[in-house]
Amino acid sequence: MPQTLWNLLLLRTRRARKGIEKIVRCLESEFTEETLELLLKGMSLVFAVSEKYRKNIEGFVGRYVFRSEDESFVVSAAFDKGKMSVRKGELADPNIRVYFSNSHALLNFIFSPKPDVLSAILNQEVTPDGNLNYLYKFAYMANHLRLKGIELL
Amino acid sequence: MGNVTLPDIGLADYTLDNLARLKQLRKKCVGAKAEVCIERARLVTEYLRGLSNDTEPMITRYAGAVAYFLSHKASLFFDDNLLAGTTTSKYFGAPVYPEFTGMAIWPELDTISGRKRNPLKLSPADAETLNFKIFPYWMDRSILERTRARFKNPPAMKLFERIVFFLAGKAGCISHTVPCYAKALRVGLTSMIEEATEKERTIAAQGPLGEEERKSADFYRAVQIALKGILAYAGNLAAAARNLAASEPDPWRRENYRKMAEVCERVPANAARTFREALNSLWLIQVAIHAENINMAMSPGRLDQVLYPYYRRDMDEGGLDLGEAMELIGCLWLKFNDNANLVPETAEELFGGAGTVPAVTVGGVDTEGADAVNDLTYLMLRVTELLTTRDPNLNARYHYERNPKAYRDRLAEVIANTQSVPAIHNDVVDIEVMRTHEVKVEHSRDYAIIGCVELASAGRSYDASSSIILNLVSVLELTLYNGRRPVTGDKLISIETGDPSAFKTFGEFLEAFQKQLAWMIEQAVGLNNMFGAVYQEFLPSPLLSAFFEGPMDKGRDLIFGGALYNSSGSTHVGFADTVDSLSAVETAVFTQKKCTFPDLLTALKADFKGYEKLHAWLVNRTPRYGTDDPVAVRNSQELIRFLHDTYCPHENYRGGRFKPAFWTMTNHAGQGQLSGALPNGRRARRNLASGITPVSQAACRLEECLRAVGGLDGLHIPGGVALNLKYPVVDVTDPQDVARFGSAVEAYFRAGGLHIQFNIMSYEMLIEAKEDKTKHPELLVRVSGYSAKFNDLNEAMKDEIITRSAYDLRKGMLVPFPGGFTAMLPFEPEQGPCAVPKPSGISTFRKGD
Repeated sequence: MPQTLWNLLLLRTRRARKGIEKIVRCLESEFTEETLELLLKGMSLVFAVSEKYRKNIEGFVGRYVFRSEDESFVVSAAFDKGKMSVRKGELADPNIRVYFSNSHALLNFIFSPKPDVLSAILNQEVTPDGNLNYLYKFAYMANHLRLKGIELL
Repeated sequence: MGNVTLPDIGLADYTLDNLARLKQLRKKCVGAKAEVCIERARLVTEYLRGLSNDTEPMITRYAGAVAYFLSHKASLFFDDNLLAGTTTSKYFGAPVYPEFTGMAIWPELDTISGRKRNPLKLSPADAETLNFKIFPYWMDRSILERTRARFKNPPAMKLFERIVFFLAGKAGCISHTVPCYAKALRVGLTSMIEEATEKERTIAAQGPLGEEERKSADFYRAVQIALKGILAYAGNLAAAARNLAASEPDPWRRENYRKMAEVCERVPANAARTFREALNSLWLIQVAIHAENINMAMSPGRLDQVLYPYYRRDMDEGGLDLGEAMELIGCLWLKFNDNANLVPETAEELFGGAGTVPAVTVGGVDTEGADAVNDLTYLMLRVTELLTTRDPNLNARYHYERNPKAYRDRLAEVIANTQSVPAIHNDVVDIEVMRTHEVKVEHSRDYAIIGCVELASAGRSYDASSSIILNLVSVLELTLYNGRRPVTGDKLISIETGDPSAFKTFGEFLEAFQKQLAWMIEQAVGLNNMFGAVYQEFLPSPLLSAFFEGPMDKGRDLIFGGALYNSSGSTHVGFADTVDSLSAVETAVFTQKKCTFPDLLTALKADFKGYEKLHAWLVNRTPRYGTDDPVAVRNSQELIRFLHDTYCPHENYRGGRFKPAFWTMTNHAGQGQLSGALPNGRRARRNLASGITPVSQAACRLEECLRAVGGLDGLHIPGGVALNLKYPVVDVTDPQDVARFGSAVEAYFRAGGLHIQFNIMSYEMLIEAKEDKTKHPELLVRVSGYSAKFNDLNEAMKDEIITRSAYDLRKGMLVPFPGGFTAMLPFEPEQGPCAVPKPSGISTFRKGD
C-alpha cells in the first residue's frame, strides 16, 4: 500500500481518536445547542472512520429533525449509503421529529448514561413526533459511542 | 355441596419440609435473576424475513413463524421440575417481542444488564444480534409503527404518546385473556388439527371461494400449522428427555427424564389420561401460546375445575396421593414463574415489579350454579400458601350463598399466612354483571379472572382487558385549566370547556368535566380501534383461537371477532382522587363558598403554599369517598355511571363493547408523580389512590369504607375493580380473628363489592422494609391486582403501599399513620380527615389563610 495512503489512514485515525475524546468530554460537560450540533457532527466523523461503528448504519436510511420548541434551533441528521450527514435546518420527510424544551433535555435524552427515551417523554421535556423505532436506534448508537469511545477504532 | 373429601382442608400435615423437592425448586426460583431471551425474536424474524413472503396470507404466514419457532426452540431442562417445557431458553427469561414493545429496549442494549431497577442480563452477543439482525427488520413493522403509518400519525396517537392522558394497551399487546384448555386436555391436539383439516376440506369442496370462505379456509389452515408447531416442540422435548435419561447417573433424575419423555410423547397430541399428563399438557400449551402472544396476563383460568377430573380419577384409582398431587401443582406454579416481562427502565417506574400475571382462578360455583369448591381448590390454596411466589396470581371466587363458610375462612387464613394472596371475588355480583352484559348465565357462572381482576367467561370471551388505561386526574386537570394541564404546559391539549372561574354552579363544572372525559374516551377508543384494525391485517392469532369457543365454528380468528363474546377493557387511574376533588369543588366553591374558583386555582398552582388554612379545610372538611357522606356517595356513583354510559355506545373492531374497570397496577404511583395539586388537598406529585380504593387515610371506619365501595353499582363496572385494604395483624390461631376477617369480606360482598385484596402488614413493618432492603427480602405485596416483590417496586409505589389505609380488624377503625412519615401521604397536615376535632371558625379563605 502506498505510503501516502497509510499516512492518510493514520491521520484519520488520530483525528477520529481526538474526535471521540472530544465527544466524550462534551458529554461530560454542560450542554448548549451548539454542543448538539457538534456531537452530531462528531458522530458522523466516527461513522466515517470506524468500520465497527459504521456497521450500525450499513443499509440504513433514516432522516431525523431535532428542533427546539421555540423553533430557534433546528438541526437535522440523515443516514444513507453508510454515511451520516448533519446540517442546520429542517430536512424534508423525516422519519421522526424530536421537539425539545431545551438543549440539555435533548442531550440528556439521547446521549444520557441512562438512555431512557420514555423518561424524557414522561417529563414532557422531549416530544417525539414520528417513528419511535428510529429514535430508539439513534439513542442506542449515541449511547454506544459514549460507552465504547475509542474502543470503536 | 362441592366435592370436598379432605379430612383437613388446611392440609396442615403438608409443609415444605416434607415436600422437599418443592422446597429446593422454590429456593432456586425465588433467587433467580432474569435474563433477556432473544430465541423467539431471532427465529420469528428469521422466518418472516427469509423463509416466507408477502404474497402469502398473513394468517398462515404468521402461523408459520410461530410453528417455526416452536419446532426450533431449544428443549431445555433446568432443574428437577416434574413438568417438561420452558417459556424461554433461559431459566428465568424475558422474551423479546419486537412486533410489540420489544424495540423500546434498543437504547438500553449496552446498559440493561446493569440498570438500577430490575436489571435483565443480556450477553454482548445477543445484544449484537438484536442490534444488527432483529431490530432493523422491525423498524417499520412493529404494531405501533404500522398503525402510525396506516392512519397517518393521528392526533390520538400523539396524545397517547404524551403518556400522561391515557395508555393504549394494544401498542404493546393484546394478550390479557383466558383461553380454555379443557378441550385440548380432553381430546388432544391431534384431534383438534383433524377438526381444522376437515373444516378446511369442507370449505374447499364448495367450489370457487368467495372472500369470506377463502379467509375461513386460511384460518383453518393456520390453526393446523400453529398446532403442529406445538406437537413438534413436545416431540423435541420427548427426544431430549430420552437422551438425558440415557446418560443421567442419578436414579431419581433418570426416572424423571424417562417419565417426562413418556408424557411428552403422549400429550398434548392426545387426550390426557393422568393428572401429570394433564398438567404437562396444559403447561406446554401455555408455553406455545406465548410463542404467538406476548406474556402479559395470559391467564390459564379455573384450574381447580379444568384439572379436577384427572385428579379425581388418579386419586380414586390409587395412582396419586395428596403429596404427589401437591408436588405436581407446585411444579406448575413454579413454571408460571419461568418468564418475565421485558420493559424499558421507565416502564418499570409505571408498571414496576409486575410478573407476567397469569391469573389462576379457584372456587365459586359451577355452570349450574352449584358449589364448585373441591379438594383441588384446597390443594391449590395450600400450595400457594407454601410457595408464596409472585406468580401465578391466585384469585378465589366466593359465593356467599353457595360456598361453605369453611372455605371463606380458609381463604382468610391463607391471606393471613401469605400476607397477600389470594384476592377474593364476589361470585354473586360478578355473575350478575356478566349476565347483564349479554353473557349467557351458564357462561357467566364459568367466569375466570384475567391478569389482575378482570372478568372473562373462560375460553369464550375475548376481552383484551387492558386495552385502555385512562387517567381520570388528567381529565380533571384539563377541566380545571380549560383544556390544558400543568405537566404539558400552556398548549391546548383537548377541548376548551370554559374557564371554571366563570362557572356559577357545580353542575356547570361537572358538565365541563364530563365533556372533557367524553372527549378523552373518544380519543382512546378511536385509537384502540385503529390498533385493532392493524392487528387484523398483520397479527392474527390462530394458535390462541384454537383454545376458544367460537373461532372453530365460525371459521374466524379471535382478532376478527371469532370468540363467542367480545369486548375491550378500559381501566381508570385516579378514581378516588377525582371523586374527592369533585366533592371538594362542590363543597368548597359552590355549597359552602369557602373559597372562590380563582382562589382555588391559584392555591392549586402554588401547591397550597400560602394557602395552608384552605388546604387544611379541604383535607379535613370536604366529603370523602369511602364514607357515608351523601355528596361523596353521589359523586362516586355519578362518575361510575357516566363512564359506563359513555363507553357503552362505542363498538370495538371485533363488534364488542368497551368495559370500564378500576384497577391500576402501579400507574397510580407513576401518574401521581406527573400530576399537580388537586382540590381534595392532595399535594402535587404525590401518589394517587389505587384501583377503586379510597384515598389513603380518608376513610376512618372499615364498615363505612366497605359499604361505600360495595355500594357502587357493580353493574356499571363490567371490567372489574381492585379494592386494596391492609390489616396490620390477623391472628390465624384465633378463630374469632379468622371469622372476623371472613365476615368483613362477606359483608362487603353482600353490600355489592366486586373484589377485595389485602396486605397483612403494618405501616411500621413496611417502612422498615423500605428503609432496609435486607430485612424482608422476599416480602410479597399486593399492588393493584397483582403481587410483586416489595423490593422490586419503585420508591413512589413503596410509599403508596406503606400509606394505604390499615384497619384494626377487631375495632374496625383506621390505624393512625405514624408521625414522621407524613410526607409519604397524599396530603398534609398530619391530622387528615379522620382526625378530630377540627373546628375552623373561618367562613372563607384567601391567600395567606
